[in-house]
Amino acid sequence: MNMKVTALTLVCFLPVAALAQSGQQVKTINLPTGVTVQYGTMSRAGTQVATIDCDNVVRVWSTRSGELLQRLADGSHPPTDVEFSPDGRYLAVAYQLVPNEKGVLRIFDVNSWKMERELVVPDVFVLAFSPDNRRLALSGIVTQAWDVENSRMVADISPPFGGSTSLSFSGDGNWIATADGDGHVRVVDATTGKPRSTGTEFVLEPLVVAFSRDNKLIIAGGVDKTLSIIDPETGKVLRTLPKQPGLIMSLDVSSDKKQVAVIYGSSDHFNKVDHLMLWDLDTGAVLGDFRKPGITIVGGAFVGDHYLFAAESDDQLGVWSLR
Amino acid sequence: MLARREVLQKCLALGSIVIASDFSADSMLFAFQEGEKPLPKPTPPNPLGPFYKRLTPVNNILRAAGDPGLPLTLSGQVVDARGEIVPDATIEIWQTNHHGLYDIDGYRYRGKQTVDTKGAYSFESVIPGHYPDKTRVCQHVHYLVMAPGHKALVTQLYFATDPVFEGDPQRNYAREPLLQTPELIRPVVLTGEPNELHAKLRFALCLERL
Repeated sequence: MNMKVTALTLVCFLPVAALAQSGQQVKTINLPTGVTVQYGTMSRAGTQVATIDCDNVVRVWSTRSGELLQRLADGSHPPTDVEFSPDGRYLAVAYQLVPNEKGVLRIFDVNSWKMERELVVPDVFVLAFSPDNRRLALSGIVTQAWDVENSRMVADISPPFGGSTSLSFSGDGNWIATADGDGHVRVVDATTGKPRSTGTEFVLEPLVVAFSRDNKLIIAGGVDKTLSIIDPETGKVLRTLPKQPGLIMSLDVSSDKKQVAVIYGSSDHFNKVDHLMLWDLDTGAVLGDFRKPGITIVGGAFVGDHYLFAAESDDQLGVWSLR
Repeated sequence: MLARREVLQKCLALGSIVIASDFSADSMLFAFQEGEKPLPKPTPPNPLGPFYKRLTPVNNILRAAGDPGLPLTLSGQVVDARGEIVPDATIEIWQTNHHGLYDIDGYRYRGKQTVDTKGAYSFESVIPGHYPDKTRVCQHVHYLVMAPGHKALVTQLYFATDPVFEGDPQRNYAREPLLQTPELIRPVVLTGEPNELHAKLRFALCLERL
């Protein structure tokens, strides 16, 4: 990050930790014996959670009943990412065919589990749907925007090196924000790939990026333990939230743009992802704080007035609520 | 203190090579260099990982006096896919310290340099440690190589002496999930007296032209 910009725009809000709420477990899902979760994501409505498990199987679970809804496997090809479409109708699963070179992306209808599309793509580690489900952004060694309906790549939006670690479409689907390995957050036209500005520089890698649903803000965070609020048009850091307690591994902005859920990792124990906080985006106050040693938080969603999230521990996938 | 014989046995068990007393370290390295024909194909890429840090200062001495860990000299040459020297390449490396931890706050064990007119580079460091949380299997050094007119190369270097490979990286390379071939695992040459060992490793880099 540009330190001069940060110094000029840093707004020091005092966290109101005393008011913070802690989490409550609302469902327990028993994982198959010996199965551990490597990656997970929750549908935006919070009704389903999809996991990539250590046996190279994608499992989709109901967060309400705890029932296993679907099991997706592709022989020897490991799944590398899984994401729900914003409306929850589709689930995209990326499989690796040739490491660092080639993959395949399968898009399933979540109701029928019929495969709707199959795209041959580069090896994918990150993907994001557009709000209308018609386009996808994906990244591995390269970063690309795809037209799903016509099964074609529409723009190469790769950074100079390193690929992207996180991708987010704007609410109108016109822009893609990318958190890039070369230390930049960029906003590009989703159709042409043309950059909207010169981007935002970070010194350490930004790991996650998210558009607010009204397209007016981008929230980004990463290894520097700073949550930055960025103007998508100029790339300027408008302000930062109070110092964050860990590496920012995941973030989620509420639909009213008032809250952000942040999942933290540790720089010396990268797989220790046991801390989640809810922040008030306007005031910088802490609204919720959940930390439970021994669990691994795998993903969540704002549902009504609370944040629902899944966390793995001891052969179980717990569904938790934080409000 | 280890006897020379014990050091030899230990190093053989770890897959490294110990220089016989009749040969100097430089002559052995020269032999390696001569044995290494210019790479006919580009160096395989390997992921950037999350700990790259921009604005790394130009510096090829990454090891400070008294740092724990086995001293390491990394060297090599940058060529293109035709085997021609790339004299204006910039190499950036970053790695963990001996304890397997990256410096996020500063630039310890992070360095950058431009190769010389022969495309050669070298860094003074230590053998990196294993991650304490085991999220990565092997010891490794990250490389970013850039040169005008060439595709940027992001890759990682691995050590044949890494206990994970049990002395046989050709057979056991796939124990590191990020390796599809053993190409990025390089032999380690140990020099010096048993109580002052120094590791040397050559890693030639081959870039693709744009």
